[in-house]
Amino acid sequence: MQLKNKGTVATALAGAACALLGSPAAQAEEEMLKDWQFDTAILYYGETDRVSLAEGVINATKTNDDDSIFNVKLVLDTLTGASANGAVAQPYAQTFSRPSGKDGYVVKAGETPLDDTFRDTRVQVSSSWMQPFADTWRATGAVNVSNEYDYMSLGLSGLLEKDLFMRNTTLSAGLSFQFDSIDPVGGTPGALTSMLTPTYIGDDNEEGEDEFEWDDDYEEGDNKTGSESKTTTDLLVGVTQVINRRMLMQFNYGLSVVDGYMTDPYKLLSVVDNAGITQDVVYEGRPDSRTKHSFFVQTKYALDSGVVDVSYRYATDDWEIDSHTIDSRFRFNLGDNNYIQPHLRYYQQSAAEFYRPFLNQADPLPMYASADYRVGEMTAYTLGLKYGHKMENGHEWAVRAEYYQQDPKNAGFDEPGVLADLDLYPSVKAVILQFNYHF
Amino acid sequence: MKRKLLAILAVAGVLQLSGCASLGVQPWERDLLAKDEMALGAEGVDLGLDDHIYFSKEATSGGRSFAGGGCGCN
Amino acid sequence: MGRIRTLAGVISVSAGLLLASANPAVAAQPAPELVLNLASKQVNLSDYKGQVVYLDFWASWCKPCQRSFPWMNDMQAKYGEQGFTVVAINLDSERRLADEFLRKLPAHFPVAFDPQGNSAQTYKLKGMPTSYLIDKTGQLRIAHQGFHIEKQASYEQEIQGLLAE
Repeated sequence: MQLKNKGTVATALAGAACALLGSPAAQAEEEMLKDWQFDTAILYYGETDRVSLAEGVINATKTNDDDSIFNVKLVLDTLTGASANGAVAQPYAQTFSRPSGKDGYVVKAGETPLDDTFRDTRVQVSSSWMQPFADTWRATGAVNVSNEYDYMSLGLSGLLEKDLFMRNTTLSAGLSFQFDSIDPVGGTPGALTSMLTPTYIGDDNEEGEDEFEWDDDYEEGDNKTGSESKTTTDLLVGVTQVINRRMLMQFNYGLSVVDGYMTDPYKLLSVVDNAGITQDVVYEGRPDSRTKHSFFVQTKYALDSGVVDVSYRYATDDWEIDSHTIDSRFRFNLGDNNYIQPHLRYYQQSAAEFYRPFLNQADPLPMYASADYRVGEMTAYTLGLKYGHKMENGHEWAVRAEYYQQDPKNAGFDEPGVLADLDLYPSVKAVILQFNYHF
Repeated sequence: MKRKLLAILAVAGVLQLSGCASLGVQPWERDLLAKDEMALGAEGVDLGLDDHIYFSKEATSGGRSFAGGGCGCN
Repeated sequence: MGRIRTLAGVISVSAGLLLASANPAVAAQPAPELVLNLASKQVNLSDYKGQVVYLDFWASWCKPCQRSFPWMNDMQAKYGEQGFTVVAINLDSERRLADEFLRKLPAHFPVAFDPQGNSAQTYKLKGMPTSYLIDKTGQLRIAHQGFHIEKQASYEQEIQGLLAE
């Protein structure tokens, strides 16, 4: 994927070199009137000791003579590394089955169990057409397809916009429908059924690999079924208002209704006794419906040489996850052709009603439970800096470096016995590096 | 806290709508607003990449516009 | 019944909106006088009386304006000797930006600079770009909001029509 992007950049550079051979005026005119615009980017996202992601984007936009806009976007990403499996750390080493059920892995004493099986490549293609009509109306239709090894997603959306008061106010309303299907490696485990943990028997075989052994009565996959799916319907209505020559604001309300399988089939929960010692490990299970509401407000303010962009989102849903997000970008132009842009983001969420860091053996098994820290209470922040440069030929490049940290919190759960001395809510730290090229 | 924020948002929204007549600019005063970096969806590729990261690491997503699908999680 | 009436109302309003954008003719009236600050001298709009004038309001930041420049140059070249001229009024608040635009897309017709937007105020512009066709007697005859490549042929016919009067 990275090679592919390098190719694109090389082609662009070659094209730029050729263009230089034309007369400067003709070139400038051509640059100004050209109808295709390309935005490309490569991104690296890496967590300390956990997953890393490499992602490439090619986004092509054509503006037609009637001001209609055609857009097509290709995204490729590849994910590798380890991810918290949901089980709690223990004062002794633990063994787990891999999702395939054919292999296992060992987690050292005192460490947060991470499953390092993840390796996935995703391809996403999306396309949209925006058509202006009757002077002050715009209609947009979009399709979206995404595919990875165990996951497929298909989406359709439509958006209608109407300008009022000499385009100072714009009303918008949109509807989107998405179908997702998941075919987990090794099958879909039954909610809160036990994962049969293997016994570690050493690495004294020829390849020096870890070897595991399961109980004789273990039938691989007898608690697992085939693929699952979900549907998502989104409604979005918004108002955009020009305040004055320097400022505009947008308000959005979004309603999202999801039905179907929302469990993460690879996530687990530990079932512990009064002393905090794991007695069983079960697969998580989440409700099969979720209704979300979001309120989004964004304001942009033009400085003499720069832009302030601040947005706030409040979201609430019937899983009892409430979240607040503040996202801000401050662009400072350094002359006509350079800018720097700090980025600050703060995020805070409450835990889902079914979130449990672990289950107590003494309690009856709940209907739904997940120990995935991503549905638990947490705060997160992002600090970033972007530098952009516009070249003589009108092309632009930019680099961006960011630091992202998630701090999961205990949402009021007691930690019996040995768990009190273990870190059940470790922070996740990540760096993001990105290169953009626009031509 | 939450209710208060919602109330502030609602009041701001209503003020916004009722004030439309006096807000805004003349068509020839859009020089700053017309800049690429003043578009609400400016840096769309960055926003898309960010959405993908936060979608797979946090429990809430969306709100700004319709996002593309897929999981690419963990 | 009420619902049918509502539907009929929606349809007629939508049809009205569609038609409103289709008819460019304005009731003939004298073109309001303007003082034009060209790069080299100051003239009045009325100085062009006797010619057909395509009066164009533009700014460097306006995307459709960029598309209209090559066409306006064409029209100037084609009909300039028959008593036609384009007069373009730039509404950029910063002259520097207008000059940069003109360096990239040179204009072969008179360009006036009005950073205060007084002329736009006088003509009560509803959008950018806006253009007017003024006949030989100085009457405003046709107005266009926006510039649409696919309507170039009809814009040209309108010029030919006024030249033939």
